[in-house]
Amino acid sequence: MKKLIGLLALCAFFFLITFIHVAINRSGRNVSRLQRSVEIKEARNQYLELEILRLSGPQIVIPYAKEHLGLIESEPHKIVVLGKQER
Amino acid sequence: MIRYPYSSRNVFDMKKRMYVLMKLALLCPIIIIGRLFYIQTFRHEEYSSKAERTIYDYLAQDRLRGKILDVNGRILAESVRTHSCGISKRYVKDKDKTIAFLAETLEMPAEQIKKKWQKAPKFFFVAKKIKPDTYMKLANIMRTSLGQGLELTPEYERLHPYGSSALDIIGASNSKNKGLSGVEQMFNEELSQDISRKRAKRVRGGDIIYDRNLKEKTKIANVYLTIDEVAQYHAEQALAKAVEDLQPEHAIALVQEPKTGNIIAAASYPVKDGQSLAFQFTYEPGSTFKTIAVASAIDAGVITPETSIDMDGRNWHLGPGVTIRDKQHNKDALTVPEVMQLSSNIGAGKIALMLGPKKLFSYIKSFGFGTKTDVNFNGESRGSVPSYNAWTKVDNATKGYGYGIAITPVQLISAYSAIANDGVLMEPHLIDRIEYPNGKIDKKAKPVQIRRVLSKNTADAMKKILQSVVEEGSGKRARITGYQVAGKTGTAEKLNQEGGYAKRKHVASFCGFVPVSDPQFTILIVLDNPAKYSFGGTAAAPIFKQIAQPLLALKGVAPDKEIP
Repeated sequence: MKKLIGLLALCAFFFLITFIHVAINRSGRNVSRLQRSVEIKEARNQYLELEILRLSGPQIVIPYAKEHLGLIESEPHKIVVLGKQER
Repeated sequence: MIRYPYSSRNVFDMKKRMYVLMKLALLCPIIIIGRLFYIQTFRHEEYSSKAERTIYDYLAQDRLRGKILDVNGRILAESVRTHSCGISKRYVKDKDKTIAFLAETLEMPAEQIKKKWQKAPKFFFVAKKIKPDTYMKLANIMRTSLGQGLELTPEYERLHPYGSSALDIIGASNSKNKGLSGVEQMFNEELSQDISRKRAKRVRGGDIIYDRNLKEKTKIANVYLTIDEVAQYHAEQALAKAVEDLQPEHAIALVQEPKTGNIIAAASYPVKDGQSLAFQFTYEPGSTFKTIAVASAIDAGVITPETSIDMDGRNWHLGPGVTIRDKQHNKDALTVPEVMQLSSNIGAGKIALMLGPKKLFSYIKSFGFGTKTDVNFNGESRGSVPSYNAWTKVDNATKGYGYGIAITPVQLISAYSAIANDGVLMEPHLIDRIEYPNGKIDKKAKPVQIRRVLSKNTADAMKKILQSVVEEGSGKRARITGYQVAGKTGTAEKLNQEGGYAKRKHVASFCGFVPVSDPQFTILIVLDNPAKYSFGGTAAAPIFKQIAQPLLALKGVAPDKEIP
């Protein structure tokens, strides 16, 4: 009977260890999933920031302004620059 | 009566049954433990190296890469983490369903995936550089039966927010974040860092763990170019229009600040990753080189701007079988400014002879021709300046108007900048600074004087002569209202395969600076072999104006000339 109890105790001990391992692995997976999700969101954010840069770049803005807003580039001698010394 | 080997009492003896069961139960773990002991003890090295290799192979993707920015901090190139999607054919459970799902998610025709499937024996990539949203969709089905056989491999995409702008300078890097050409390759060590081994750490017990939170400990730098993206845009636009109109084989527009040597725009056509023609293209400059010969002769005291050069009836017999003709004027003698205004080959040739081969060679070298610049761009050419010992009289004279010599655009623009900068040759720069994450800044574009090439008086005289070329001579189309512009046109015939000069193949160019009173920009335009025959004055000079005007406006450069 003592051996049986010992065997049961051993089984319970191994079960506990296995359970702890499973729990650790599960939370590890969750952490990993969250980290991956953060990485993906960071990458998406980076894409969006670069897209903003692209859209605000001269390649897009100048032709758009000329076509839709009637931008006329002024000749340089017609521009008066104020406070150039301070700049 | 049948007799059983065990009595009924024995058969149902609980104690014995438990004993047998225990033995059976222990047998399995003993076998497993024995196997583990064997693997751990005798095959430890083999398996651990296999595991490490797998981990490091995966982590090898983790090569971070810094940004490349323009002088004002606009991002020109940045790496974004992305993924590629592949298929291991034998693990796919339902081929049609998987292909249909991928076609819908990746927004590509199913037929295309099917074709790849048929061609590939075991594995193939369906798509590369997958955007984050698409990645999420794919990652979510990885553990379902639909996702069986799919593989998502991490990689990097190098994004250029301004498209192909300055791409010939920036260069390319691969999906593993390694620089392949241009600045990407030149500064690969500073820009990138392989952090896979840093991230993979061995913990107590021998396991390898992967730590993603090491970003702040990296030492990748950001590289700032001297290029100004807005100036680059204007240079590229002007060049694109010229390419459309004249269809040259190659075209170059280069803008430099004469006082610092900083290159603020460098546009090439055709655009190839990391192949900037500003540094790699070599050509015979033709008449734009007359400026060098004339400036050298004035500086050496051989001539003055008032010196009159006899034109020999506009047919100068230089040697046996060599006659130089000036068809563009009908004057018997020209002053030095007139030689430049009318771009007289006879005048420039005679001035070169008056200076002599040794002195001319010395000045040419002093201006930096025949030597690589300190920009040290990948594949930069040094050009070719043959030693004066081997020059004949004809060689001496032809050097005066830019033949028998090969130069690069960056050498010529630096020489013109030296004249604009009162005779001092500055070191050209393409890299403004390198910023490290610890705050350290390695300033590269400090104005460095290489040497004084001309006296200030000579430089002043040359400025006036070059200004007269634009106001009264061949460079009239470079004139800008309100600004004094100085420059020289060039139309050089190209060598043909037989060794002579081809009449229909030529290089049209213009190099100048503005405003003359306080030069802010030196601009060089080179059009190599335009399909429509054109001259430096008619084709290249207007491009100079198109680039200079917006730059003067952007930088707020005050006019230095009375406006009529």
